[in-house]
Amino acid sequence: MRISLTVNGVKRVVDVKPNERLLDVLRYRLGIKSVRAGCLVGDCGICTVIVDGKLVKSCLVLAAEANGSNIVTVEGLSTNMRPSPVQRAFVESFGYQCGYCTPAFVLTAHWITENMVNASDEEIARVLNSVVCRCTGYKQIVDSVKLALKWRREGGER
Amino acid sequence: MSLILRTTLPDFDYLLPSSLDELLALKAKYGERAAVIAGGTVLLNLIRLGFRYDYVIDIKGVRELSAIEYREGKGLVIGAAVTLRDLENNEVVRDKYRVLWDAVRQIGDFHLRNRATIGGNICNPTLQADTIAPLAVLGASIEISSMRGSRRVAIWELVKEGGGLLLDPDEILTRIYIPEPPKGSRGAYFKVWWIAGIAALAANIDNPRERIVRIAYSFAPSPKLVEGVERIFRQEKPLKVLIGDAINYIKTIVTPPSDARASREYREHLVEFGTAYLLRKLLGVEV
Amino acid sequence: MSSEFRYVGQPVKRFDVDKVYGGALFASDIELPGMLWIKLVSAPYSHARIKRIDCSEALKIPGVVAVFTGEDFPYKVGIYAADRDVLARGKVLYYGHPIAAVVAESLDIAEKAAETIDAEFEPLPAVLSIEEALSPRAPVIHERLGEYRRASFINPVPGTNIANRVKLRKGDAQKAMEDVDVVVEETYRSDPQSHAYMETWAGAATIRSDGTVEVWSSHQSPFAVRNLLAMSLGLPVSKIVVHHLYTGGGFGGKAGLLLEHIPVLISMKLGGRPVFLQLNREENFYYMAQKPGFLFKMKTGATKDGKLVFHIGEYYLDAGAYADYTVNVIRSSTFMATGPYEIPHIHVDGYAVYTNKVPTTAFRGFGILELTASFEQQMDILAEKLGIDPIEFRLKNALKPGVSITPTQEVLAEDAGDPAGVIRRAAELIGYHIPPQRSEEPWKVRGKGIAAAWKGPVQPPNAASSAIVKLNEDGSVDVLVGTGEFGQGTIIALAQIVAEELGIPVEKVRISPYRSTDLVPYTWQTVGSRGLYSDGQALIRALQDLKDQIKEVAARAFNVFKDEVEIRDGKACVVGKHSECIPLERLALGYTFPSGETIHGPIIGRGSHVPSGTTYLDPETGKGNPKPFVTFVAGGVEVEVDLVTMQVRVLKAVLVTDARIINPGLAEGQAYGGILMGIGLALKEAIGFDEIGALRNPSFLEYRLPRVEDMPVEMIFESLNVPQRNAPYGAKGIGELTALPWQAAIANAIYRAIGVRVKEYPITPERLLKAVKEQRPDILTELRKIMVGV
Repeated sequence: MRISLTVNGVKRVVDVKPNERLLDVLRYRLGIKSVRAGCLVGDCGICTVIVDGKLVKSCLVLAAEANGSNIVTVEGLSTNMRPSPVQRAFVESFGYQCGYCTPAFVLTAHWITENMVNASDEEIARVLNSVVCRCTGYKQIVDSVKLALKWRREGGER
Repeated sequence: MSLILRTTLPDFDYLLPSSLDELLALKAKYGERAAVIAGGTVLLNLIRLGFRYDYVIDIKGVRELSAIEYREGKGLVIGAAVTLRDLENNEVVRDKYRVLWDAVRQIGDFHLRNRATIGGNICNPTLQADTIAPLAVLGASIEISSMRGSRRVAIWELVKEGGGLLLDPDEILTRIYIPEPPKGSRGAYFKVWWIAGIAALAANIDNPRERIVRIAYSFAPSPKLVEGVERIFRQEKPLKVLIGDAINYIKTIVTPPSDARASREYREHLVEFGTAYLLRKLLGVEV
Repeated sequence: MSSEFRYVGQPVKRFDVDKVYGGALFASDIELPGMLWIKLVSAPYSHARIKRIDCSEALKIPGVVAVFTGEDFPYKVGIYAADRDVLARGKVLYYGHPIAAVVAESLDIAEKAAETIDAEFEPLPAVLSIEEALSPRAPVIHERLGEYRRASFINPVPGTNIANRVKLRKGDAQKAMEDVDVVVEETYRSDPQSHAYMETWAGAATIRSDGTVEVWSSHQSPFAVRNLLAMSLGLPVSKIVVHHLYTGGGFGGKAGLLLEHIPVLISMKLGGRPVFLQLNREENFYYMAQKPGFLFKMKTGATKDGKLVFHIGEYYLDAGAYADYTVNVIRSSTFMATGPYEIPHIHVDGYAVYTNKVPTTAFRGFGILELTASFEQQMDILAEKLGIDPIEFRLKNALKPGVSITPTQEVLAEDAGDPAGVIRRAAELIGYHIPPQRSEEPWKVRGKGIAAAWKGPVQPPNAASSAIVKLNEDGSVDVLVGTGEFGQGTIIALAQIVAEELGIPVEKVRISPYRSTDLVPYTWQTVGSRGLYSDGQALIRALQDLKDQIKEVAARAFNVFKDEVEIRDGKACVVGKHSECIPLERLALGYTFPSGETIHGPIIGRGSHVPSGTTYLDPETGKGNPKPFVTFVAGGVEVEVDLVTMQVRVLKAVLVTDARIINPGLAEGQAYGGILMGIGLALKEAIGFDEIGALRNPSFLEYRLPRVEDMPVEMIFESLNVPQRNAPYGAKGIGELTALPWQAAIANAIYRAIGVRVKEYPITPERLLKAVKEQRPDILTELRKIMVGV
């Protein structure tokens, strides 16, 4: 079946099978390799993407269900090769190690800065709790999110 | 005999009806060969790990199933495809149906609640039916629809031993009806992973004769409503004493299962002390 | 570290930013033109003879290219003992043992075909625990154990299930038993646990027309993959190229050869066609090796003034069906025997034992996790029995550099570090002697605990490293090393060293995270916290060589002696003369005199390193020097036990190491990561088996990993910065060390909170409840009184 998706601002029309996951269509049919599988049961959150403004685990979404939707991945956060403040905050605060879960955390952080500018530590933790990282112990990821929020509140990166 | 641990989903056709009539017609036509997908957070796991369907019918195209409606005095109507996020963000649910709200925000995680639906949690409780115990203490009923018509029954009547709903192959859960809760009622949900959930609702705490205390348990995935607790709390004794009486009564009624996730012994501990914790919190009794 | 350095000791940002910005490549991302997909089929029996595998239906499915079974690949694979079949041959040794591989045009087709494969088995009695495996009546899992190719220091016992037996003898422990006042005898256990790295294993292979085998895979050590492929398949090293991309976590679980032999052999059968195998999470639990479960028996004695006198141990690791690194892991536990303490009389027997369970391998800590989880509870129990404060007791017995004799009977090197210092500081930071603040909720009880550990890389004496540094014509450098990048960021620390040595901005140092074994110099493995130390030393030698050449060229340009040239701020200058400098870019390709005459040509530095003074160990006593350096750590925690749920929450964790730190940002990352992993291993993570040996929880839904909610409210990491001699800027490894103290520290803290000791990991609510009922039923009676009113 033919579906159309807007991925990182670009409309893509793609033929998919009814049993294909959004995760696999993004990776294998559209070449968006930052979206990766971690557990395929919706637990680890590595495959997180933003669908119509919502954080979604793409291993538990059929591509067919996403027909017509607007999808953002980490590749869509940079503009003209310039990384977004959220991305820079992760570099600044050592918010990543092996990098496998990083796109999921960066997208989650991006969503937080767009939707919860004044989030408390507890609220940040509740959202970040959806994604698993085995390397960092989360501290520097949380620091990255807080730094990005601070930049956002203060109107830009200093 | 061999063991295959699949990555891809087996073949099925995807159907997206745009009206309830169309949906019911498809379900009537394909029956057990068709699964209903709302959030997909449970169904797609089941399909990958072995359940086989020829058709997956997406009910998100049927608008009315994604609606939450509240009418003062009449109560709440929740479409089966309403996401847990929508319930979590709904002020009426938060303020008036606290026990449900408290349970919903403990299901899955933030991201999953953007997809997972209340209908899915009721129909596919392979992990833990965290919404059923709260709905039970709220006295909810569910609407089951098919081409043959609709019926509305107390949620309790259709819950299967071991989870899921007793539905005919052509039937679909369409709506959840929750009556107006008792005035000034409070509610809370106590949860330990997929081992146990306890839902409690209380109202008119200071007046023994009209005092309402309801409590229900969900042991993955079998829920249980304890009748009789309400009677205990109608007695004119200090609340502290009544909590003790209630727990001792509950311990004789509730026999939690043993499974791979937890022993009966541990669940019994949670029943005793989790209930104590929850009731004290709800009734405002200091330790 | 002090500000005498511009880059070393500074939190220089990671330069592998493509992980954050998009574009990072992992083995899972590989797509080769015309690539075929492999799907493994496995056995639903723990131990069974294979009677028949019928692949005929699978071969009829359009898009299926081939199906292979064990007999197609008569090779034995393994690092220290070649005990593993490529696909099961004759019998299956564990539930989930792969028996066939389907190759097809797509994964979808391969999986459909896999489901048509019909196999028949004749079940054999299975061995599902260490105790069963050791029973004289136990079925022997590896009947040809004595015939396997193995490393000289591995001692299997043919005719039994013992994959390796290790002995450590120091002094006379039996006799010393008479000279003590207090003896503690305990048994500690753990379920098997999982590395649970986020990237499940993936690997692709193809054969080039000149016969070169090319492999892309998710691994820690590209040269180990090359070496083990060559050894196991009988291929010449010159015909293998292993490509290292980013690896999504390893933690020891991707240390050596993983499943690379499967795509390699299949590609060889298919005329070199590119093939790809990627495991999903369930498969990763079954097909990749896990952390072994353990059973450590300990008997330790001390005099009443608190001096440790003897220690007798029997240490067992449940190696599963294939032992991979586990045969060496047990050596590590045994030879480090007693933690960072001096005990004159030690007698330990270590065993790695085959069972019909999932294969096992190395895990961050390499045997010292198990040792610390056990011995540091033993220390607290002893201290209590002696009536001595646990910190004082530890300090009294802590190893003394330059003085103490280690379990392997070496004098601990003078520059070994500061064992007492880390214990003292950790105790201070956690406020060990200050009672914890009481919770407002009376069913939550708090306690503090501590544990200490030591560890060095457990590697063969010839574990070598090498490095090449190329000076580019813009004054930047390209560094070639074999170090694997799977999160630690060692390459960033290495770049800092280069920038420091050459006085150039760190931005002018390039170390590609991607490497191929034919393009970078050799390093043995990236394991055992050795990357920075070993590859760093090779790099420093390469930089010396590079600088030497720069000075030589500059000296001729200036017409001075070589020792009159110094290199600073990216320039070669005549000593003491600020005006006479040549920027490095003008020397990169050699120096061109005004006449046009050019000397030397491109400048390339090269350096090698192999640890000096490490030896094989005496097989009867363990005497020798197994490690080039050791690092000491101590960790303290404050926990809160919720008696309603029996869940334990770590409120605060402090970690102190003695290691010098090159990059505090990276080191903190290791520390926090180690703490959370330790919390998982201590409280949550267990691989469960059912009665027939199938995994109960081969999925993240039920193998529970630490999440943000498990983060302690406060985490502190400190380093005492004790310099290590003959090390890059005095630095030594900490990667594994950060994970070591937590299991015992948490168990000790629980004991100090509620007086209940749990000696089996993980300390799940279920286990804690059981222990409370057995050891302190009064706690529940009291709780019932206050909460239920009965």
